[in-house]
Amino acid sequence: MSDLSTQQETTNLSVSKNTKKSALNKIGFGFLYLILGLFAVIQIYPLIWLVFFSLKTNQEVFGMSPFSLPQDPQWGNYTKAWTSGNIGLYFFNSIWITVLSVVLTIILASFVTFAVTRMNWKLSGLVLGLFLVAYMIPLHSTLIPLFNMYNSVNLIDNPASIVISYTTFNLPLTIMILLGFYKTFPREIEEAAIMDGCSVHRLFFKITLPMTIPVLSTTAIINMIYNWNEFVFVNTFISSDHWKTLTVGINNFVGQYLTDWGAIGATLVISIVPILITFLFLSDKIVEGMAAGSVKG
Amino acid sequence: MKKKAFSALLSLALMGGIVLGGCSSSSSSSDDSGKSSGGKTVVKMMHLWPEGSSKAQFTIVDDIIKDYEKANPDVDIQTEILGNEQYKEKIKVLSASNELPDVGITWAAGYMQPFVEGNMFAPLDDIVQKDQFVAGTLDAFSVDGKPYALPLELNITPVYYNKEIFKKYNLEVPKTYDEFLKVVKTLADNGVTPITLGNKDRWTGSMWFMYLADRIGGPEALNNAINRTGSFEDPALVKAAEEITKLVDMGAFVKGFNGLSNDEAKGYFMNEQAAMYLMATWELPNYTTSPDVSQEFKDKIGYFKFPTYEGGKGNIDSYVGGPGVGLFVSEQSKVKEEAKKFVAYLVEEWGKRSVVDAGVIPATVVDTSSGDLDQMYIDILNDLGNATNLTLYADVQMSASVADVHLNQIQALFGGQTTPKEFAKTQEEALAAEE
Amino acid sequence: MNKVMSNKFVIALYTLPALLLILVLIYIPIALSGYYGLMDWNGIGEMKFIGLENYITLVQDKVFWTSTWHSFLLAIFSTVSLLLYLAVSLVLASKIKGSDLLRKIYLIPMLLSSVAIAQLWMKIFDPTNGMANKLLEWFGMENTPIWLADPAIALYAIFIPVIWQYAGFYILIYYAALKNVPDEVIEAAKIDGANPLQIAIKIKLPLISGVFKVTIMLAVVGSLKYFDLIYVMTGGGPNGASEVMASYMYKEAFKLNHFGYGSAIGFGLLVICMLMTLLTSKLTKSNDDVQY
Repeated sequence: MSDLSTQQETTNLSVSKNTKKSALNKIGFGFLYLILGLFAVIQIYPLIWLVFFSLKTNQEVFGMSPFSLPQDPQWGNYTKAWTSGNIGLYFFNSIWITVLSVVLTIILASFVTFAVTRMNWKLSGLVLGLFLVAYMIPLHSTLIPLFNMYNSVNLIDNPASIVISYTTFNLPLTIMILLGFYKTFPREIEEAAIMDGCSVHRLFFKITLPMTIPVLSTTAIINMIYNWNEFVFVNTFISSDHWKTLTVGINNFVGQYLTDWGAIGATLVISIVPILITFLFLSDKIVEGMAAGSVKG
Repeated sequence: MKKKAFSALLSLALMGGIVLGGCSSSSSSSDDSGKSSGGKTVVKMMHLWPEGSSKAQFTIVDDIIKDYEKANPDVDIQTEILGNEQYKEKIKVLSASNELPDVGITWAAGYMQPFVEGNMFAPLDDIVQKDQFVAGTLDAFSVDGKPYALPLELNITPVYYNKEIFKKYNLEVPKTYDEFLKVVKTLADNGVTPITLGNKDRWTGSMWFMYLADRIGGPEALNNAINRTGSFEDPALVKAAEEITKLVDMGAFVKGFNGLSNDEAKGYFMNEQAAMYLMATWELPNYTTSPDVSQEFKDKIGYFKFPTYEGGKGNIDSYVGGPGVGLFVSEQSKVKEEAKKFVAYLVEEWGKRSVVDAGVIPATVVDTSSGDLDQMYIDILNDLGNATNLTLYADVQMSASVADVHLNQIQALFGGQTTPKEFAKTQEEALAAEE
Repeated sequence: MNKVMSNKFVIALYTLPALLLILVLIYIPIALSGYYGLMDWNGIGEMKFIGLENYITLVQDKVFWTSTWHSFLLAIFSTVSLLLYLAVSLVLASKIKGSDLLRKIYLIPMLLSSVAIAQLWMKIFDPTNGMANKLLEWFGMENTPIWLADPAIALYAIFIPVIWQYAGFYILIYYAALKNVPDEVIEAAKIDGANPLQIAIKIKLPLISGVFKVTIMLAVVGSLKYFDLIYVMTGGGPNGASEVMASYMYKEAFKLNHFGYGSAIGFGLLVICMLMTLLTSKLTKSNDDVQY
């Protein structure tokens, strides 16, 4: 369906009254695609590089040009990454911790953004300010106080501490992004719903949330990536192996004097697969959701 | 309406969690360490040898723990393993919260000092057998004559070189510094990087300075400057700094050394793009036993002692080096006695196995007759036996903030952003300020 | 209408959970951080109250102000780079052929963890074997730069990966915002004879100005507290040439055992962030926040 519309668009663009203009347009488009293509190469290269990297020996990783292909692909790096340490378990932990935190963040952030932008109350500006300032604190300032707090309530070495931390620390960013969007969403539908006697909760869950799916997908992607790659909190608050996550698996290959870079590369490749898939899926939601929203509108 | 109930529930649950959390304070957290199910004594240990990168060390520790638990069925040793950087960061958080593990890894001297002063480490004089350790290693882990950790490793720093590159340019192993300079010059003139150096890490450059200081002024010059019986503006130290500047100007070091990490710099040596590499003996497995490195490369690598300086006071059997890490027992530990017993056992067993199994030279006296060791190990162990002096890495001797000044000055000296005189002066001031 | 939307209970229900979370997990640490800043504490032994000494030292600390300046520079560069990302997003959102695939490709680097990005760029910047210098040599340059080792350029060299790292993040947000512009508005403009460029500048940009302002804020604050790649790639060096506020704070608190002082730096960072945010919001304030 989207293909159709794309084609229609291109024909719309290229059909022009003036032939000279059309030739110019073609050159312009060629140039545009050249730049876009170049940018695409730059953006996809890191992924390819990472795959090469994961197949190299330590000796090759350094010294050789980053362009170079692995001379003798070290598939053993993957075996090593998969067998030393509990990577399967880390994988599972990463997934459920990430998903749970993303869902919590998005729901809570939507609640707040809705209340701040749609409801009338005096302190809304102040509350928003509190979230804004919360975005500014450097992570490392919070480590020791947080450790003490979790420790005093026995949440150290408990995955709840990780979920709570991820949820909380992503709230300010998520709210700020949502805010930019909520301000531009049409209010008419919501107003009409209220006129019809719809309750606030119904309005929020039935109308506002579905309408904001594109931006929710956007924030979900961002949150997911942050949580997935986070390691400072896990490292600090978790001590037993059975609650650790994938990023800690990378640490498994950092030694006192020797670091096994190939295996780190392999772990990185393994760990990027699930978010790559989820990302591709969610990324389509940004567009699809839009269409659904406009149909309703 | 279901949704409403759900949202209310969710908010309540979260709030409840927080409120509960905030109020229950410290009532329950105090008695979790010590006993586990089945009445076993739990000893918590943290170390930095993950299975992935340090399989040999990991396995040794793991075996030792199993043996110990078998011999002491009422003890349960629980380990937490972190990578090097993460380990250091976590120890900081844990010590600030007074939650150190019962047993853990520490570095010597300057790193350990604040922990001892803060009453975090238990004195281990009651379990130590002094003759068990190589002379001097225990001192690096002692404060006011009492040991607060037991050393596990001992490293010296030879200069590794690529025999093939040397042969190609008809170079001999240098015995004196003049000969060394000739080697450097020949290589540089032929477009070969003479020395690789990852001076982003800074302690790497510090070792070059330390050796020159030792060869020119003898071990006392630097040691006295640091222990404040002397001065950092000692002519020998300034002279050593001048020699560094000369080396840099000759193009002795790899291009962009101040931006390379040790790992990256090592890559140049491992890929035969640089002829020499000054590094501690923890690198030995790469040239002997490591299965990841080709035998062809290993055969090309030899080592020599840092050459002597004409008219200098230092001799060739004096080394820069020192014990790497040691084991501490937390002063706050509820199972201190059990932890001490375990540490004593671990150090002893570690000494028996570490060279042969992991290529780690232990701080305990090694019996070279047993086990089949690679020739390079036997040579190094012999050198160690004949050593006249071992100067502990300068940045380890110093307190964290003075060490930072020293290391920054090293980087500036190598990078040409300071003069040898200023280099000495800045460090003298930093050292004096802390007296 | 007003009555329903001013229901105090609902407002509390919607905001309190999130508010409680940030109050407990972020504001208490902020407060404690300010409090530790009043202490002489190495993070290990006893704390000693020293009043405002750390803060006075901070104000006079040249290294701190240099790092602050570096952080400012990063904030400026990041903000400027937003224009590029906005341009890219405008093209992507304009339904040109292949935009769907391009968008996905463009966003891929944001999936990579800092560990991977740092490794990649350290390889690119390697003075002898690195891609950057290989390329320059190919163009015939002889004295190729030493990048991260040169105090004069290390800071700017490291800005490149830092800014590039966030390309996907902003393109994603802009793209979503642009897709949010109702088709009817664009169709109407087209009927009026507007060309794609005019539509972009006159119609689309004003409609997403709210989102753009938010991203400016994110870029400024995010840059001021930036830490990751700088810590891994240069550690703030050589000789502090690439030190930024957060890396300086980390170094003092976690490496040099000046935990009290490190906390004071963290608190200072927060204050500077707040001032900059106020300034930014003043600069970007306009009365005509568009709505449709």
